[in-house]
Amino acid sequence: MRYLKTSEAAALLNVSPNTLRAWERRFGFPKPQRSPGKHRLFTHGEVAALRDALQEGLSISSAISRAREGLAADANSLVGALVSYERERADAAIEAALALRSVDRSVEEVLLPTLEEIARRYSVESAAWAFAAQWANDWLRRATRLTPPPVRPVSIVVGDASRDELDRDAPYIRALELFLLRAGVKVLSLSARGVAGIGDAATVHKPNLVVVAGGHLDDDTVARWAYAIRLAVGAMPLAIYRRGPERPRTRGTGTTVLPSGAGEAQRMVLELLESDAIIAATAAAGAAELRAQARSIRGNR
Amino acid sequence: MLDRTAKARSGRPALRVLTAPVEHEAPAPTVSFCSHCGARPSPSGEAPRSRVCGACGFGLLLESRADAAPKAGDAFIVLDRSLTVCAVSEAAERLLATREPEAVNRHVTDLLMPADAEESGGETLSMAVMWAARGDGGSHSATLRPANTFGIRLTARIAGCGPPRAALLVLE
Repeated sequence: MRYLKTSEAAALLNVSPNTLRAWERRFGFPKPQRSPGKHRLFTHGEVAALRDALQEGLSISSAISRAREGLAADANSLVGALVSYERERADAAIEAALALRSVDRSVEEVLLPTLEEIARRYSVESAAWAFAAQWANDWLRRATRLTPPPVRPVSIVVGDASRDELDRDAPYIRALELFLLRAGVKVLSLSARGVAGIGDAATVHKPNLVVVAGGHLDDDTVARWAYAIRLAVGAMPLAIYRRGPERPRTRGTGTTVLPSGAGEAQRMVLELLESDAIIAATAAAGAAELRAQARSIRGNR
Repeated sequence: MLDRTAKARSGRPALRVLTAPVEHEAPAPTVSFCSHCGARPSPSGEAPRSRVCGACGFGLLLESRADAAPKAGDAFIVLDRSLTVCAVSEAAERLLATREPEAVNRHVTDLLMPADAEESGGETLSMAVMWAARGDGGSHSATLRPANTFGIRLTARIAGCGPPRAALLVLE
């Protein structure tokens, strides 16, 4: 995966950097990601596809639509591989997508839409879905393992309330975990069924935010799980991800509903983690911890 | 015509066809123009580094016959031989109330309809575009109206342009 700065992308296309930024405004393509310093980072694959299309096109718009078509073909080839139960071809298809995009965007633009398409075409009761979901979860786990160790001093506990791997929400939860890990956040993902001992896990992990993800487990189970964490480490901001639209959500304060797209949810979690509320809560938790330590020291004397 | 060398070799008169040298028509002078703003790049001699228009940055440079090419600010569209919209100039965007990114890859009749009641209009338009896109070098004209409006008639001059080969439709 190669990224290009604006000047490099412009040089590759033989246009000025201003023209390239104007294209982004008018056509929405090529669409850059942002570096931590908010600089534009263009993916080499998109720029190269556009460069080739410009040689053949009659206008920028037609060249861009041609370049987009070429990139969309990746998603179609993944659908084809999965519905014909070919693991190697599916691996090759996602590798091809990765050559043109970052991991995050390959997941968001190729892998997750592919799963949606298969679920829509064959229903989640089908063998095609079983194969596709298993392959996708497997791939996402592998990508998670390859992520470099976390760099931010923040951590999250994810309570997985999905049914199993074949749950439609499961790939989205894996994708959110992957995105958060790639953003440098420490993530501990546990099934929300495991209530006993969750307090210890939370004490060790010291989360800044708890995310309840998935819509299979009922509210009582999830509430018991969240309460156990709350008992262990005190009040904690809570976010809800893909818990279905019909459930009563926000009772009391501090509960945020995350958007259902994995990328959007990741951005919102990062905003939450950076917002003052969390810092204040962390500080308060720290203060409570200090007070508790002071009490225990006094008690020892 | 009697060929003396043949006669000399075989000893009897023979006929040989000599083709008259074909009078090559001087190719019509071509000019470059931007597919978005219609501006012609300044003839400074050096070839532009890329096909992207240096004036507006939103169009690619195409070539067409000098007498058919649009001037800066003209309303024109570019169609391929299957009558699909490939480019819409800035002035044509205003005239037809559309935007190029939305109009490309749509059929021309989404933007313009033949309005030639006397002739069988539809055929003349599609034939003219197909001839022009095939590169017959001629210039045609057609009477059109915006797709959603009656009572407005636009005269279009149709000629080839490229590369790749396509039809240029300048609205007058």
